[in-house]
Formats: sequence, C-alpha cells, structure tokens
Amino acid sequence: MIIYLMKRLGLAAIVVMAVLLLLFSMLHMIPGNPAILALGTRATPEAIAEYTARMHLDEPVLTQFVYFLGSALQGDLGQDVFSNRAVVDIIGERIGFSLALICTGMGWAVLLGVPLGCLAAVRPGSWVDRVTGVFSVGMIAVPSFLVSIWALLLFSLELRWLPAIGAGEPGDFADQLSHLVLPAFAIGLGWVGYLARMVRASMLEVMGEPYIRSARAFGLTPRRVVLGYALRVAILPTITLIGMGFGGLISSAVFAEIIFARPGVGKMIFDAVSDRNFPIVQGGVLVATGFYILVVLMSDLLIAWLDPRVRSSL
Amino acid sequence: MKDMDTHMTDETLLNIDALSLEFRTNRGQVKALRDISFPVKKGRILGIVGESGSGKSTVLWSILGLLAGNAKVTAGRVDYGDRDLLTLDAEALRALRGEEVSVVFQDPMTSQIPVLPYARQMSDILYRRAMSEADKRAAAVDMLRRVGIPDPESRVDAYPHQFSGGMRQRAGIAMSMLTGPNLLLADEPTTALDVTMEAQMIGLMRGLRDDFDTTIVVVSHNLGLIAEMCDDVVVMYAGEVVETGEVHDIFHNARHPYTRALLECDPARIADVSRKLPVIPGDIPDLTKPLAGCIFASRCQKAMPACATKAPPLVERGTGVARCHLLEGPLADASWPPPASVSTVARDDGAAAPLPANAGEPLLEVRDLNVQFRTMGALKARIRGVARPFVDAVLDVSLDIRPGETLALVGESGSGKTTLGRTILNLQAAAGGSVRFDGTEIGNMAERRFKPLRRDMAMMFQDPTGSLSPRKSVRALITEPLLIHGAEGRDLDAEAERLADMVRLPRGFLSRYPHELSGGQARRVGVARALALNPRLIVADEPTAGLDVSVQGEILNLMADLQAEHGLSYLIITHNLPVVRHIADRIAIMYLGRIVEDGPAAEVFANPAHPYTRALVEGVPQPDPDRRRPPSAAIEGEVPSLLRRPKGCDFATRCPLARDACRPAKPEHRHITPDRRHACLFPLTDTQDNKNKTETP
Repeated sequence: MIIYLMKRLGLAAIVVMAVLLLLFSMLHMIPGNPAILALGTRATPEAIAEYTARMHLDEPVLTQFVYFLGSALQGDLGQDVFSNRAVVDIIGERIGFSLALICTGMGWAVLLGVPLGCLAAVRPGSWVDRVTGVFSVGMIAVPSFLVSIWALLLFSLELRWLPAIGAGEPGDFADQLSHLVLPAFAIGLGWVGYLARMVRASMLEVMGEPYIRSARAFGLTPRRVVLGYALRVAILPTITLIGMGFGGLISSAVFAEIIFARPGVGKMIFDAVSDRNFPIVQGGVLVATGFYILVVLMSDLLIAWLDPRVRSSL
Repeated sequence: MKDMDTHMTDETLLNIDALSLEFRTNRGQVKALRDISFPVKKGRILGIVGESGSGKSTVLWSILGLLAGNAKVTAGRVDYGDRDLLTLDAEALRALRGEEVSVVFQDPMTSQIPVLPYARQMSDILYRRAMSEADKRAAAVDMLRRVGIPDPESRVDAYPHQFSGGMRQRAGIAMSMLTGPNLLLADEPTTALDVTMEAQMIGLMRGLRDDFDTTIVVVSHNLGLIAEMCDDVVVMYAGEVVETGEVHDIFHNARHPYTRALLECDPARIADVSRKLPVIPGDIPDLTKPLAGCIFASRCQKAMPACATKAPPLVERGTGVARCHLLEGPLADASWPPPASVSTVARDDGAAAPLPANAGEPLLEVRDLNVQFRTMGALKARIRGVARPFVDAVLDVSLDIRPGETLALVGESGSGKTTLGRTILNLQAAAGGSVRFDGTEIGNMAERRFKPLRRDMAMMFQDPTGSLSPRKSVRALITEPLLIHGAEGRDLDAEAERLADMVRLPRGFLSRYPHELSGGQARRVGVARALALNPRLIVADEPTAGLDVSVQGEILNLMADLQAEHGLSYLIITHNLPVVRHIADRIAIMYLGRIVEDGPAAEVFANPAHPYTRALVEGVPQPDPDRRRPPSAAIEGEVPSLLRRPKGCDFATRCPLARDACRPAKPEHRHITPDRRHACLFPLTDTQDNKNKTETP
C-alpha cells in the first residue's frame, strides 16, 4: 500500500514536471523574442531589457528551465507582467471561487445523478427510467456554455431570480451562494445525465450478478439489497468516472466563469491569454493540472478503500 | 397426479404439486416446467437430477420465489406446511428466505459479494434476530468452525477473494446454515469445485443434515454426487418429472427409459473401456412448440408409435412414480426394464480407437520444462527483500506423446496443467527446459518462426461458445484457421462442408451463429476449427466440460474416430477422471506444477503408485448408492497456493501416508516399468499385492 502510494506520487511528480516543461517550451517555441511576446510590441526597450534579465532570457534554454523549475518548486511562479504581483498570490485569491464552483457542480450532479440511475436500474421500464433515459441524453448533448447562457438569460435577465455576474460580496455567504447557483447548475447538468446513465448501466449489471440473488435468497430487505449490496459494487466504476470527470469540469468552469464573470482561475487564465500575460497562464494551468492529478489519485484511493480486491492487489 | 395430493403426510416438509411454468422469450413461450409433482420428505436429502434444459434449477428457484423476471407460474402449488409458497406475498416470502429455507449456491466465486467481509455478510443474514452484533459475530464464528474453516475467529473478517475455492464453498454452506433452516436448497453445490473438495462437501452436507435435522434438496447433473449424498431422487427431463424414487430404486431398478439411458451413459459406470461410449441420440425437444405424448419419445430406444401422441401413464411403486407406456396399460412390456447387464442405449459396436503401436519417435518431447509467473514487480521484490519474486507454475515437467497417442494431463485447479498446455503451444514463455515437436526444438520460438508449426498443433478450447466470436457464422469460424494460414486456391465453401461432415455437424448449421448452437454443437465447431489445418497434435483443454453425459459420449467418440482416421495425437487436459479412463492411452497426474505419476492409463487406474493419484481416483463419487464411501475417506485439505509450495514432496501436507522422510526434499522420479514413473518415496505399489503383475504384461 505504501509502495503503491509512493509509486503514484512519483508518477504525479513526473506528470507535473512534464507539464512544467510543456508550459516552459510554449513560451520559447512561439517565434520571436519571448520578452516582446510577454510584454507586447509596444513595450519600451528598458522594460524588455529588465524583463530579459529578470526571466534569465539571455541565458541558455536549459539553464532557463532549471531556473524556472527551481522557482516553481519553491512556490514562485513568477510575477504578473502588468501588476508585478506574485502569480501565486493572484491564484490564491481566485482558486477558492473555482473550487467552490467545480465541487458544487459535481456535487449536485452526484446527488441527483446517482439516485436517478439507481432508481432507473431498480425499476427498468418504469417512468423514472424512461424520463431519465431521454433527459440524460439531452443533458449530455448540450454543451455547458450553452446551458450557462440559457440559464443566464432565463433566470437572471428574464425572471430575475438569481444574480447574473460576479461571485457575490466577500463575507456574505448567502450572496455568494446565490451567485454560485447558476454556474454550478450549468456545469453540473451534463454530469447528471452522464452519472445517471453510468450508474444505471452499472447497477443493471450488478443486479444480475449471482451474489445479488444470494442476498435476496437470504431474505435481506430490498432496500438493503439495492443500497447495501448492489450500489456498493456498482458505484466503483462511477467513482473512477467522477475522478476523471473533474478534468472536464475544469474546462467547463472556464466557460462558466467567463459567462458569469466569476473571478475564478478559469476567468483568470482566459484574461491572461488575451493579455498575453504568460506567467499567469503558466501558473493557472499548473494549478489546474495539480488539482486534476490530486482528484484522480483520491478517487483511486477511495476505490482501494471500498474494494478489498483492489486493496489486496496493491 | 391426483392421488399425489393425499401423500401430503406429517413427514412431508414440502410438496410440489402440478407445477407448470413458462418463460417469455423472443422465441416465444418456453414451457419450461410442465406438471411437476413430488414431495420432499422431512429430514431426508432429495436429489433432483437431469441434464441442462431439464428445468431442475428452475424448480429450485420457484420454491423460493426467486425466478427470473420473464418466468410465469401457470399452474400448481408449492405447499410448505399449510401455506402455498406460490401465493405468498413478497413480505411473507422474504420472512421465510434465509430463516426457514436457505440456499447453497453453485459457484462460490460469484455468489458471495466481493466487497463485504464474511462477518458482515453473515450478520446481515441474522438481521431479523434480536441479537447484539457481538453475538451475531460469535454465531458466525461458530458456524464457520462447524463447516471446517480453520482459525474462524480471524477468518471471519476475511473477504471472499481471500479464501480458496473449497473454503469459499464451506463459508457459503456456513452462511446458509447460520439460521438453522428447516429446508436447505443446494444448486449444483460442487460443480465449481475440484474432485477432492467435492468429496469433502458431500461429507459436510450429510453431517449437517444429521446435526441440524435439516431437509436438503440438492440439484445436480452429477450422478455420483446424487448417489452418494441423496436418499430420494427425482429425475427430470425437458421440464417434466419422468421418474421419482428412493436412491436405490433409481440407481438399481430404474424404470423409465431416460433414467436408464442416463445411468448407462455415465462413463464412471462403464467398466469396459475398449468400446465406444454409449450416447442418447437426438436433442432435447423444442419447448416452445406444442408438445404431445411422451417428452422423451423422440430419443427413446423403446419408443412406439403411440408414444409420440399419447401421454404416458403415471405408474406408482413403493417409493415413487415413473411416467412410461412400457410400465402400464395396453402398451406395457413385461420384459421392461431388462436386467442391468442388458444395454438399452445406442452404443456403436465399433471398438474405440485402437491403441497405437507404441513404436517410433515421440511426436512431442518435453524435457524438464519450467514455467514461472512473477508475483510482484522488481522494485517491490527489492524493497521487501524477496529473492525469487515468482512462483513455479510448471516445475521440471518431462513427457512424451507418440504419434496417434492420447495423453491425458490430469490435475485439480492450480496444478499447472493448462499452463503446461499453453507453453507447449508456445502461448506462454518457458523459463527453462525444452519442447521438441517432431524433432525440432520449439520452446520459446519467435512467433514469426513458430507460425508455420501452428498448422501441426491445434487447440480445442475449454469454453466452446466463449471461444467462438459471436459475430461470425459457423462457416466463417471453421474456415478461419485456413485464412490465417493462407488458403490460396482453396474453395472455402467446400472446405467448410468437408469439415462439417468430418465432425458430423449438419451442413445447414454452417450459416448459424454461435448463440444458436447447443453445447454439443458448439463443441463440434471447436473440433472442426482444430481440424481445419490437418494438425498432427491437438491440445484439448477440458474437451467435455459443461457437456451433458449423453452428449459427452458423442464428442469423445468423435475424437476417437478422428484419431483413428487421421492418426492424430491428443494432449487432453482435464480433471474428469471417468472420461480419462475411456479416452487416454497414457495419463500424467500433475500436482502443483509437477508430474507426480505417469504411465499407461489402465495401469495407473488399476494400481496407483502415488497417494495423490489414489486420492483422485477414489475421489470421484461412484454413481452407485451401494458404493458410498465413509465420510472420512475424503482426502483432507486443499491444493496449497503456489506461493506456499512445500519444500519436500508437494503432496506431503495432505498425504495420509506422509512420513518425515517426505519433507526435506522433492522425491526424484522413479521408474516402475520403462513406461511408468512416479515421484513418491513410498509408492503404494510397493506395499500392495501382485495384482499389478497379473494385469500388465
């Protein structure tokens, strides 16, 4: 188990390293002077010279990468080109908004999608099953940015139930929550359908397993058979799916943050890309990658905890 | 059946009366059970025996109301006490399940939930009892101890995958006995287990019946198990009860032609191995069609014209009933049933494949072959300080197969027999030793160079249907080997027809798909695929696994015929000893990857040298209730994990005759005759009489 964990963490370190290399080479593979790319064509020669020295742009590429790696590992992802503030600080301010959005989005999708899939599987052909079947396809098919725009138009502009932009007043929890509802709804909707279908298929398979018949033959209550036995096994592949799904949610969150003008990491990356503010882009992508790696690792550990067969093979 | 109702006496625990049941399928309504009636007597063990499609398991599931969703009971009653179980509501039925009526399942691998420990699974079964969790756990531990799980206090926290197959089935039996049920239903309880485990389970269940006064209904296709375990027997065929009676009456005085045929087809009951195996020709009737007359008429050797139209009478006798025109009424035949010495089934008079003149060079020569499997990664092994991070799946195996010869490789699961077969076919890398085919060294040969040799060495796979691509027609399947090995200029349609004729598969089947084939037909397709390239050696992995007794004979006869016609050599990998006795010229017994004994089949069977061979030979339950073994005859323990291979003789941990000398080192192979070897320091042949010398020249 400890060896497994070490292996996984080692792999994660390699992935992070590869991402850093990719981000670093991105700057250098774009033709032209990175300093001009970073500062824009209207930058003064003094600014360019200062930037070149600060970023070690006059040294060999490999040395530059070592500098970059060294500072990144120390938590220094460089400075904002315009404000000169540390990238880490800027991300620190914004990451909470993104995490809240992503987790709320996945959270409500799990809370609705898993029970729906369960119900549909327990009573195949019932109205729950049919409605879920039809709507889940629709939910998956509609891109989250379209849902965002529709939700914005309908609930904010037309009905005026919920605020349209921003993340709410700092310190006002209710206000922040009301700002979270629409974007979280938008990015989670597809996952409701996705999870419902996944859980349904998985449950149907498990419900046909001999050990479910055993549980029924021993007279266990239907509730225990479905929730205590079938779902316990059927949820395992779903956990992997959810873990990997966070990757997709990160990109959905970018759209939602742009549309709802939510000051999260996604919006930050988007703005930085349009401003050619590369240190911010690098930092943002790195944080997103790290988050994704962490979530996948956690989902794998969760499965190992829930499935003794996996646990003993570690 | 009317007078059957009055048989419901005090000693009847459960009475099934005129039960009929249909399955709704896309082929139409399958009349799976028709007018099933029999009583289950209190405190006895009733066996329901029949081949696949007989509906025996369906009867079992209908008792507990656990039928598939497309099943519908159309008539009948299942009386338990004063209640009809078929009319009970879901709640009342659930109150009965697990408490008064419990089940032992066929495959303990799949019938126990993998993610919960036994402690939890067993306390869940006791959820209705007002007991503390600690008491439930204690009850679980007690029951695990009773069924022979060593160290139950700690093993109760184990998960199913941490148990071996035999232990898992013991735990399954413990779960079903936990509530002390009145009635225990067992669905093929030993089918998934090895021979030595089977004998242990039979003893265990009989013991539990005696201790807990539980009535047992056991469903099985295994006549040996039925004979050894049961008091009463119900014989089913194609959804009908054809005969019932006490076990002695069924096995020694069968009155229905089907019962008689079933018994006569069992290889374990046939002493004469020089002739072909008997078969019941034909197939089970299509149960979606309207049925008239006797259900067995189309396959019955004694059928008369009236049998096909007129329903046979139900004829009583002391301990049961039989449904046949021969027994009563205008068509009665006083000479039926004939004495046991008279054969009533189709048996080709031709001799089985003649033994080849054992001259000439071996076709296949295996010398000191070793196969190893890694148990952990190199890093992990380094960290844990494991010097040999692998196990020996095959250990120093040497064997020869001569042209035209059949060698059977016999062993329980984990013996390495399948691995050895795969290594010979170069599907698995060898760690050492040599494999020579027709004088050429082929061990670990690169696939590119080995491919031409694949024409000469074909494989018959264990799972006939699973090894056929479901999207290909039979025609495409049996010509596939030709395409793989270049079929330039060959007329594939003609080849397909030739192969179909060869395996006696009607040509009309060429356009069918695997799911439309019966087990025996799929097996024939497997034989045809193996034969397509005119091989010289066929490796057959469990060639009759999953086949009914009546079909098994057909496949074995076919294999024998093909051998005689084409001079084929067979390497047959199996655990089925009665079958081996009929088809093998020589046998090699494997245990933990090592051959412990080999030699001419007849000699080895008659006079085993290695105690393990004797355990296997005697481990098969005899299909004769007069030859029941005492419960103590079963060999103890289980095949140990390869990870815990004993230092000395591999079998010493279970051997009833093991002495101290067996434990320090592996016994060398020693020859009794030039043709016969064993690896035992104290072979049984040394201590026995001279029987061996008179039987073998």
